[in-house]
Amino acid sequence: MEERSESLRTRPASVAPGPDLPERGVSGGITHEDVDRARDRLAVERARRAGSAGMPLARRLLPLWFLIGPGVLVFLGENDAPSMLSYAATGAQYGIGFFVPFVLVTFLAGFVVQEMTVRLGAVTHRGHAELIFDRFGRFWGRFAMGDLVIGNFLTLVTEFIGIRAGLSFFGVPPLTAVGGAMVLIFGVILTHRYWTWERITLGLAVFNGLFVPAALLAHPQWGMIGNSFLTWSPVPAGGVLKPDVMLLIMADIGATVTPWMLFFQQSAVVDKGLQPRDIRAGRTDTMLGTLLATAFAIATIVATAPLFAHGIKASDFQAAQFAQALQPLIGRVGATLFALGIFEAGLLAAMTISTSSAYAFGEVLHKPHSLNRPLWEGWAFYGVLVASAFAAAALVLIPNAPLTYIVLIVNVIAVLAMPPALLFLVLLVNDHAVMGEHTNGLWANIAVVTVTVLLVLAGLGYGLVTVFPKFLGGG
Amino acid sequence: MKPEHDPLSATIRRAEVTAPAGPSDIVDMDLRPDTVLSVLEADQLVVAKEHPRFGQRQLSQGVRLLLWGLRLYVIAMMALVAIQVVNAVRGGGH
Repeated sequence: MEERSESLRTRPASVAPGPDLPERGVSGGITHEDVDRARDRLAVERARRAGSAGMPLARRLLPLWFLIGPGVLVFLGENDAPSMLSYAATGAQYGIGFFVPFVLVTFLAGFVVQEMTVRLGAVTHRGHAELIFDRFGRFWGRFAMGDLVIGNFLTLVTEFIGIRAGLSFFGVPPLTAVGGAMVLIFGVILTHRYWTWERITLGLAVFNGLFVPAALLAHPQWGMIGNSFLTWSPVPAGGVLKPDVMLLIMADIGATVTPWMLFFQQSAVVDKGLQPRDIRAGRTDTMLGTLLATAFAIATIVATAPLFAHGIKASDFQAAQFAQALQPLIGRVGATLFALGIFEAGLLAAMTISTSSAYAFGEVLHKPHSLNRPLWEGWAFYGVLVASAFAAAALVLIPNAPLTYIVLIVNVIAVLAMPPALLFLVLLVNDHAVMGEHTNGLWANIAVVTVTVLLVLAGLGYGLVTVFPKFLGGG
Repeated sequence: MKPEHDPLSATIRRAEVTAPAGPSDIVDMDLRPDTVLSVLEADQLVVAKEHPRFGQRQLSQGVRLLLWGLRLYVIAMMALVAIQVVNAVRGGGH
């Protein structure tokens, strides 16, 4: 489809008009952030001009190179330490079977939800937290922010658990592991350039794929994997309504759909400067992230399936213990890759989740909130980013802190907090005053409502088997 | 449309000019202000984001009920999670 030639200064007529801009001279009111964002936009437009119809495939894909980022980052960031450990626990406790296609379905649900944040960000140029406060008021906005702040902090703690545990396989002391991660997190933001931050974190995200060679070294039975997709079997012994199974189901769902993803991707889309004409590319970016994350998640299940096959009890394992237990089964290289993958998962997510908290803080309090801002201009934004990571890192270093259980339970909390977040999302993306012609279609609404209902049912099921373990025939 | 008649191509060509005219606060930027204004939508500018773009919407009774219902659901579920954590810690399970 030929790109429409349009004035980029013209707001789409169907979108609600914004505020009148103050009178200013040629240079008045333009900030460093605007210039950086405009520079990114020009790169996209140059790539579009260079990749017009009739050009080689590589040239036509060039605009996509400039536009991918938020979708890949959010999904690979969601393949964080607790998520990968949930998948590892799944493979170790139940092998290849029911959970393999189940994980695929959860990621598809994640795509349905995250695609909407692309449209919201590209059309409104406002972050998720800001939109909630603007449209629903402070009362409901504070609830949403409360869920985000609590969820993000707990998740950040687990990321540093993963960083510490992953590097402990190599004998790295906790203080060095956690301190080194903080240095990296701080170092990346010193670029004060969204594009640079995004590319560095994308480069880091590629290492989420370390679980693939680890899985290959486990010599998986491909027929069994194919059979599991077709038949969703074998089902865990005793059925799926057992408390232990329900916990993993909830943890695996929470490994895919969490509130911070909504806030991060929409804010990243805004910071990146996407416009309505980029929605299709943003959708492609999100699908690419979905597919990569799904593949890496299933690879993790496959990588630890040998533990199940050999009857090794892994229900209490931490990251380093998984790697150590796997070493005799998949070799030193495979175990090393697994441990490095857990470290990467924790580090990437620590960067993205702390950034999502900082975005939300800046949007709600109307402080500068862009990775394009120099440190001195965005000191509040960067301060929240670093402080949240620092607080989580410090907690991980407290001796005898109850960290192990937090890793699995934090994903459960994410699932439970998701339905209200999805309701806000559905209301916003169907709001004509906000979205204009880009509101949800019927099928998108059916999909997201279905996801919301299923999450509520999963939560209720989890609650029932927790309180009445034998009520549904489990326990 | 021929490149010489395409306003966006002209904008891209102008962006190559590295001698901006303006006050010292943007003298180290290699984009002219009019170029910035032409590639960004009005709502993308920082100055536009200083003001809320959308007013508060009226919530219907049904939406309020849904919001409250889900809020109570979250509170109840968090209580269950706390119970499970306490039971697990007491049982020494994790």
